[in-house]
Amino acid sequence: MSNVPSDWEVVIGLEVHVQLHTRAKVFASSPWGFGKAPNEQVDPVVLGLPGTLPVVNREAVEKSILFGLVVGSSVPEHCSWDRKNYFYPDNPKNYQLTQKDFPVVVGGQVEIELPGASRNVMGEHKFIRIHHAHLEEDVGKLSHAGSGSLVDYNRAGVPLLEIVTEPDLRSSAEAEAFLRSLVAMLTQAGVADCDMEKGQLRCDCNVSIRRRGADKLGTRTETKNLNSISSVRDTVIYETARQIRELEAGHSITQETRGWNAELGRGYVLRDKEDAHDYRYFPDPDIPTLKISRETVARLAKLVPENLYDRQRRYVEKLGLPYTAASVLVNDRALAEWFELAVAAHPTNPSGIANLVANDLLRDLAASAGAAGSFDEAVPAPVSLSSCPIKPAQLAGLVKLTDEAVISKQQAKEVFAEMFKTGQDAAAIVDAKGLRQNSDTGELEKIVQEVIADPAVAKSIAEYRAGNEKAINALKGPIMKCTQGKANPVLIDQLLRKFLG
Amino acid sequence: MAEGFDIDHLAKLARLSLTAEEKALYSSQLNQILGHFQALADADLPATIDDARVVNEDALRSDEPGLVLGAEAVTRIAPASRDGQISVPRVVDDES
Repeated sequence: MSNVPSDWEVVIGLEVHVQLHTRAKVFASSPWGFGKAPNEQVDPVVLGLPGTLPVVNREAVEKSILFGLVVGSSVPEHCSWDRKNYFYPDNPKNYQLTQKDFPVVVGGQVEIELPGASRNVMGEHKFIRIHHAHLEEDVGKLSHAGSGSLVDYNRAGVPLLEIVTEPDLRSSAEAEAFLRSLVAMLTQAGVADCDMEKGQLRCDCNVSIRRRGADKLGTRTETKNLNSISSVRDTVIYETARQIRELEAGHSITQETRGWNAELGRGYVLRDKEDAHDYRYFPDPDIPTLKISRETVARLAKLVPENLYDRQRRYVEKLGLPYTAASVLVNDRALAEWFELAVAAHPTNPSGIANLVANDLLRDLAASAGAAGSFDEAVPAPVSLSSCPIKPAQLAGLVKLTDEAVISKQQAKEVFAEMFKTGQDAAAIVDAKGLRQNSDTGELEKIVQEVIADPAVAKSIAEYRAGNEKAINALKGPIMKCTQGKANPVLIDQLLRKFLG
Repeated sequence: MAEGFDIDHLAKLARLSLTAEEKALYSSQLNQILGHFQALADADLPATIDDARVVNEDALRSDEPGLVLGAEAVTRIAPASRDGQISVPRVVDDES
């Protein structure tokens, strides 16, 4: 961030915990979902009762592999699960099933885009390396009431993919951009929903600072359990400033676990669970090592959607879209695919279609739906296109009518509003409202000749003939007036130039 | 072999309160167990993943939600409960 003195460099690594989009839990068949009464989504396997055995959910494994393919990791031949042992009431079995030595995702990278100088300028792109991602079980939820605490195990056993980055991030803006990009990739591939309000994405944030140019990393602190992009950004800014203050005062940084109070906007040292770091990991004897077949990998590879920045580059370079429209479309896969269907129906003006989709359609859809929660307050949640009253080919039809000057751009807005209300074709609305512009050359020629014969416009004609191109525009208004605004403006222009030239 | 562990630390992690006699007994037994594992670790074996413990994807479960116990049954097996939740001594994670 701009408030970091230039002789210091901040180094950030993130651990992102994402609940995978499955119906059953990761090692048990218990269903899971948000908003159920406490302990109603628990079965004997979740609780680790005697005689039960965990069996891994195929969908959770495949969603994890799909994520690996999305970030370009090489899918390992095998993966296996380990026990992480600790006593804490959020953990019903006294161990958490996780992957320590052989995780399901190894390596990969996430492309990020930093904010540009302004909204319509694309910012710098960077690649952030993924160290690995492992598939584990979520833990229960604790709430504190009076002298005791209450435990709800509904969340225990929910499939959780922990995505660990290399310490490649260098500013709060990069951390923010990374999370935006990651959320887009996860949701566009159908790996996870990433709904912050439901706690589906939580983040641990490792921050250290060092003198710019130094090779060695400084001592880091880990701030745990951040549940929004703004909390991650604020934590990085806060921790950076705090660590610089400490070091410049001659103190050293203690490697510690911290919490973040979003309301007060400050971090605090977590009272360490005693010896909590000594997890005594060992391979889980109940779950055999899993061999991941290359057939499965090949099948899942077909489900990898186009990377959002590849899509953005294609829209700008091949379709000629302005960056602003392209960047809006690519954030929402369904919207982008909707746009592409419209372009397929009318390939000659992608920008015209993009502007209507990114501005008018998005605005009206958002207004009719009411935005849902998302991890990122700054980016609206994807709109639902299933209930969109306008079909892609219909929007293409509207742009085509505008391109052929059957209606003006101004009239197109009116027709669009009517289409959104009724779901009718653009042409039907244009005809019903009598909006079709007059393209009858004979009739227009007469009107044009009448208008230029009027002494009131003689001055404009003289100016045009003297070389002032713009003077011709002063003649168009009266012609439009004579035709009640229905004259084809392209035709008017042609006729004026013919008669005056 | 030399003890590769601290019996007091292990007891604390396992939430066990041990007498001096128990500590001596368990230390010696743990040493024997670790000795067996050391013998296994020392065996000259190829450094590959043990095929006998490897399964393919047929051994995975399908993503079909099954039965649940219900909060009543879950809380019944806990020493204490309240409002469908398991009640435990206060654990503090928040800012203090």
